[in-house]
Amino acid sequence: MTTSDNYRSHYTFGMDFGTSDFKFGPITCGENPRIVNNRGYFPDKRSLVYRAFESTADIIVGDQVPLYLQSNEDLTSRLVYPMKNGLIEKDDDKAWRVVGALCQFGLTSFPVTANNGFHGYNIVASLSAVSPRYMYEQLLALFKQTDHTGNIRAVTVIPQPFAVAIGHGVTTCVVIESGHGNSQICPISKYPIGSAQVALNRGGGDANAITAEVLKDSGYGDLAGEESLVRRVKESIGLIPGDLDLAIAEAKRSPRKFRAKHRVPGTRLEIDLDKDSWTRFLIGEYVFNPNHEIFESYFSRGLTRPRDVKMGETTFRGMLDFGDAIVTSVEKCPVELQPLLYREILLSGGNFSWRVPESMQGVAVDAPTKVKSLLRMKGIKNVSVKMTASPQFSVWHGCIIYGFAVPEDYEWNWQRLEGWLRIGA
Amino acid sequence: MVPSLSIHERLRHYFVAMGATENNSDQGTLRFTIGSDRTIVNVLTNADIIERNRIIDTLLHLSSLRSEASLLYVAAPKLLGATLNSEILRSTGIGLLLYDDRRIEECVRPTPDSQSVQINQTVPTSSTDTTLIAELAALKSTCTKLENNLNMMMLEFKSLREGTISTRMIPSSSTETPFDPSHRIEPTLHTGIASEGLPSFFSNNPWLEVLSKRGRAEGPLLAG
Repeated sequence: MTTSDNYRSHYTFGMDFGTSDFKFGPITCGENPRIVNNRGYFPDKRSLVYRAFESTADIIVGDQVPLYLQSNEDLTSRLVYPMKNGLIEKDDDKAWRVVGALCQFGLTSFPVTANNGFHGYNIVASLSAVSPRYMYEQLLALFKQTDHTGNIRAVTVIPQPFAVAIGHGVTTCVVIESGHGNSQICPISKYPIGSAQVALNRGGGDANAITAEVLKDSGYGDLAGEESLVRRVKESIGLIPGDLDLAIAEAKRSPRKFRAKHRVPGTRLEIDLDKDSWTRFLIGEYVFNPNHEIFESYFSRGLTRPRDVKMGETTFRGMLDFGDAIVTSVEKCPVELQPLLYREILLSGGNFSWRVPESMQGVAVDAPTKVKSLLRMKGIKNVSVKMTASPQFSVWHGCIIYGFAVPEDYEWNWQRLEGWLRIGA
Repeated sequence: MVPSLSIHERLRHYFVAMGATENNSDQGTLRFTIGSDRTIVNVLTNADIIERNRIIDTLLHLSSLRSEASLLYVAAPKLLGATLNSEILRSTGIGLLLYDDRRIEECVRPTPDSQSVQINQTVPTSSTDTTLIAELAALKSTCTKLENNLNMMMLEFKSLREGTISTRMIPSSSTETPFDPSHRIEPTLHTGIASEGLPSFFSNNPWLEVLSKRGRAEGPLLAG
């Protein structure tokens, strides 16, 4: 055992900047890091009430944020989710300030009392695979600014799908990371194959959007605007259909069996889709394939169609289904590598965590089965699709392994976008 | 669909739904029993929160009830959430429930007071006893720190004697605690099998070997 091994087995720190959550903590957290929302709140310092109570922080992040929610009319401008699309504009000062505050919050949440052995954490931060170079530059610069406490020794940044593959222990695979705002398909063969990446402008947020429409159609329009409630309803009643047409027919034939009910904890509210319970299958289908004609009626009534969006150098495809997206990505790789890539497809991110009630098995399926089914429709049969063992934390696991294993003397390389940027002593 | 009940009634429903039974509530103060815990909830209304003194008065009143209940809550309109620093509540162990027309949300969990009343337990009657207990706790803590410092010094001394750099361990918690010599981590990087002490996701992970060669051999460029 070397001194270096010992140091890294104590002072490696992972930070996963997800679109919705920020997961962070040192290697000593064990299996699970700490998790807070990836967001910050800018209090209105001009308000008399604010002055009266003398709150001091410019930005509120972490556990304190919920105390400020729903109490201001201008909440949308004051509550900033910096990475809701996976990307931050270069000059989006507010978003970068939130990221800086989160870095600071992460480090101060795990204080280390001064001792001779501690020279600062080796931090591995993880960003969306579609992050342009300036995001790496800005993030590394933020860490330099944050280091006034001497808690940082070196820092590096890796793409999230790469971290997922590392965390899962597979060196040749396709990783599909699907978060709240978007999804990224990234082939990996010891290195991320960046030129073959495909990004989708679709994620858990879109499943929330169709859930809101389902609620409106069932007479719960007054609840459809409450984002956190809609999200809970989605998680409670949303299902992925093996085949949407068959699932709808089956649910209409046996409405009692497929009835969708959700009781809101701590209230007297109960949401009951009753005869419209078949619509629970639309929620899952929309994430994987929004091209079914049934969604046209929702688009025509105001649901925003997922559009192709160009952000930075990347085009996020709106309507591409997951099967097409995987095939497009893999076919950009060398032919001899393609079968190996199809053999290990990893699904990661909260957007793939869907339950399958026992009584509905066969009609409702899990995410890997759905992806397999979409690939079968494209003629790809010999595939293995798996969920990562810990979808929520696999990126953080990868960060910790990367930080532990990469030699400390491997200096940051701007051409490769890897290595350690030395900050502390 | 939105209940038109008073906030007091809604709080009753909220606590009853958690398995509480109500006892001896009066104007402005609700009292419940949850399991073996006695709980007191003081309610602030929209009219109350514009009076700063009223808020302070309520918090002081709640603190004075510490000996009567193990869980104390203040229930306030959501608007208060934008102005109140929850650290104040956390430090006093008082919980915060924020409500609006639709929901009641527990934003700060109360800290149960071990010395407060629980059902079938006696109330500490003497303030001298409380002071004595606090002093004993402080002494115990100091003693533990001294013991730990001594252990660390012994370790440093041993390391210096052996001419090696001491290895400090940190536990799986948010703050560092003193070194425990019996808890050594022995990572075996190149065998592909991580040893005891590292998280389970290190086990048989082929990336440990792949990544340990980064910077040693040229690989393809990371396109991004």
